[in-house]
Amino acid sequence: MKSIQFKSKSAQRVYDDYINRCQKTIKILSKADKEDCLLEINSYIYEFLANTEAEDEMENLLNIIERLGPPEETLKEAIATKKTEQAIKTFNPKFLFQALILNISNGIIYIILFVLFLLLFCFPVLIVLKLIYPNEVGLYVGEGSFYVGFVDSPVRVTEISGNWFIPFALVISCSLYLIIILLLKLKTKLK
Amino acid sequence: MKTEFLQNWDTQLKKGILPLFVLKALSKKECYGYELIQELKLSAGLEVTEGTIYPLLIRLMKYNLLTSKWVEQPSGIPRKYYQISDLGKKALKEMKSSIQMTMTKIVK
Repeated sequence: MKSIQFKSKSAQRVYDDYINRCQKTIKILSKADKEDCLLEINSYIYEFLANTEAEDEMENLLNIIERLGPPEETLKEAIATKKTEQAIKTFNPKFLFQALILNISNGIIYIILFVLFLLLFCFPVLIVLKLIYPNEVGLYVGEGSFYVGFVDSPVRVTEISGNWFIPFALVISCSLYLIIILLLKLKTKLK
Repeated sequence: MKTEFLQNWDTQLKKGILPLFVLKALSKKECYGYELIQELKLSAGLEVTEGTIYPLLIRLMKYNLLTSKWVEQPSGIPRKYYQISDLGKKALKEMKSSIQMTMTKIVK
């Protein structure tokens, strides 16, 4: 991105500070998305300054910074949108987690997806526990009851999966992950 | 002089119909952010800041109502031009008829 050059050192500092704040706000985005956001913010500043007839460049700069507002607020929508697109495109769990956190206030569907995401991580934990406590972890069936997970002292319940619990947990994890991505994609398409 | 209630109502109303004016302005010609702000001021008398228009354009892009392209400038600072999409044109048509229906009910 080409920086705007100011005659006054103070104006240059104020501009650089604002751009730095923007950079900090969008640091979780991909390189291309960061560039896109910064180019646009820079363009807003440049066009305002180029089209404003006033001698004091500092005052003009402060005016456009005030009009743009705090980067944390102005860029919020862009970050949430771009992060969701990135999560859907890459299938990366880190990006998916960030996208869900950023969108959590955007509707009940994101809360459900976030709960599913947390549930997703229970199964790898259960796989590890199964290796450590093979008799306490599994699929338990009792009288009118069914458990998946850790049972401290299995009484009146029968473990039915045996060593198949590990592939079962893996399949459930992968399926949950795909369901989350598909729901997110569907949500994005049904806008 | 407007009361505080009327001032708030007026602000909310303008905020609510801003996407319609943005789509309408972009249906006439493609614009970059600053140009769009000026266009809204001239054509609709709306005072919109850059901090309002930027998230709105992102939202309209998210809903596939707009498309955009970067255009290099001699200054070295490119402009992002926004255009209305076919979906945006349909949405604009529906928004206009919705507003007209509401207006009809108001003046009845």
